[in-house]
Amino acid sequence: MKFLTDLILKMGTVDRRWIFLVIALVVIIPLFFPLGLPIRATATTQYVYDTIDALPHGSKVLVSCEYGPSTKPEIHPMVLSVMRHLFKNKHKVYVTCLWPDGQFLASDALNLVARDEYGLTYGEDYVLLGFRPGNEAVVKGIVSDLRKLYTIDAKGTKITEIPMMEGVNRFEDFDFLFSASAGYPGTIEWVQYAVDPTNVPMSTGTTSIQVNDVMPYVSAGQIQGILAGMPGAAEYEALIGVPGIGTSGMDAQSIAHLVIVLFIVLGNIGYFIERNRSKKY
Amino acid sequence: MLWKRQIPILIVAVIGSITLFGWFINEPNIKSFVDDDATQWFDILASFAIFLGGFNLLKMQLQKIFRRQRGWQYSIFAIAGFFLAITAGFFYKGNPDVAWGTHVTADGTLFKWIFTYMFAPLQATMFALLAFFVASASYRAFRIRNFEATLLLVSGIIIMIGRVPLGSFISSWFILYLLVLIGGITVNSFFKNKQYTAIFVIVGIIVVTAAGSSLGWPLDQPGILYLPYLQEWIYKYPNVAGARSIMMGIGMGIFATSIRYILGIEKSYIGE
Repeated sequence: MKFLTDLILKMGTVDRRWIFLVIALVVIIPLFFPLGLPIRATATTQYVYDTIDALPHGSKVLVSCEYGPSTKPEIHPMVLSVMRHLFKNKHKVYVTCLWPDGQFLASDALNLVARDEYGLTYGEDYVLLGFRPGNEAVVKGIVSDLRKLYTIDAKGTKITEIPMMEGVNRFEDFDFLFSASAGYPGTIEWVQYAVDPTNVPMSTGTTSIQVNDVMPYVSAGQIQGILAGMPGAAEYEALIGVPGIGTSGMDAQSIAHLVIVLFIVLGNIGYFIERNRSKKY
Repeated sequence: MLWKRQIPILIVAVIGSITLFGWFINEPNIKSFVDDDATQWFDILASFAIFLGGFNLLKMQLQKIFRRQRGWQYSIFAIAGFFLAITAGFFYKGNPDVAWGTHVTADGTLFKWIFTYMFAPLQATMFALLAFFVASASYRAFRIRNFEATLLLVSGIIIMIGRVPLGSFISSWFILYLLVLIGGITVNSFFKNKQYTAIFVIVGIIVVTAAGSSLGWPLDQPGILYLPYLQEWIYKYPNVAGARSIMMGIGMGIFATSIRYILGIEKSYIGE
């Protein structure tokens, strides 16, 4: 018993680089050798799927990309999956970006899904309106008069020359909004300045850390479901039946979470042993 | 003094009042100002702020280099990166077939190359490092020192395991056995009697085993102990309650500060 307690105490003083090595291994190994853990959709993910699935064919859907490379592993798989779902159901997709780096990632997503996978035509089936600076002022601008804010799209084409922009003048002209958000400005600004005043339905996909802030809006019914972090992305991939990087990342995340929990438990056992020993002396 | 103090305060008070009351007054001109003009003003002012930001960055980094402050070598990279981005954005597209403006996101341009091969990997790397620090910090610092810390730790573990697919493999019965063991530790620390502890643990294990056998060991029953359901409950109820109260507090704070600005009580923006 003494050997075991000494070992646990010794582990408490282990160089942190060993911990880094363990984490690196438990993240990398499942990426190369997937475990194929089954993915079960949570109620909030199912709600997003059902809402998008219930949209009538040909609906005008605004997808807003508010994320960058740092949060790409969590948000990008959601955007890809949602776009696949939207294009499969023959909706018209309009993409805006409240973050400058969002425009690059949105462009990549549209090229991959709309152009390469579905062979759709730019300007007729999808359009990248691009980034505009101003945070919530951009949201308000889209709500009041989109054409004042966006005179040209991300490719430099005049809005008036884009066929699918006909009849789209303000936020109320859209049938649905999906906000892929990693922080400010993002989902909350869309709810406060666009969705609440106009009653246009919206769903969102956020980073895991942001779920706490957004959840009150979901439970109040202001947002129709939320894709919560990488698990949300993986669940959506499972729902549309196209596994992607969200699904492959879940094995690594599962094992990494388990290892971190084990670290916490071990650390606390060591803490209690140490405390009991110091009480004795 | 009039130009430095009274006039700015008057502008803030008037514009602030119009913007605030514009939400409640159904007058087309005021509504148009709030919805369109004010937001465009904001865009124009924000555009000027980029120059201030750029000059400030240059000033700070150059000062660091000239004064040979600690880590001045990094400032050389910061300034080089700044000018490289400006060059790629304004002077050199790298692909003559692409029009100015669209060169920012078009393939084959210098700006896109910088984003794809420099900015994105660097930002992703910085964020990925968090996993290592979280693991290390949780091992060394996340301790059950009091009731609040215990609550935080237990709910954190439930969320971490319940959110990932692995959590759906952990049976409610396993959690029940764990609870029996934790109960045993509690009984032992309370009574300091090995017999009581042994009786509690043995009876607990027999009861759980009997219940499990009679029900056929369903993985997700009893639902209250199934981690995926439990984490959803934590997200939906305790978390929402806490988040709402914080949001209401922040909202009240923003409202109070806005009123202070409009009434000219808060003057930090003019350096007072």
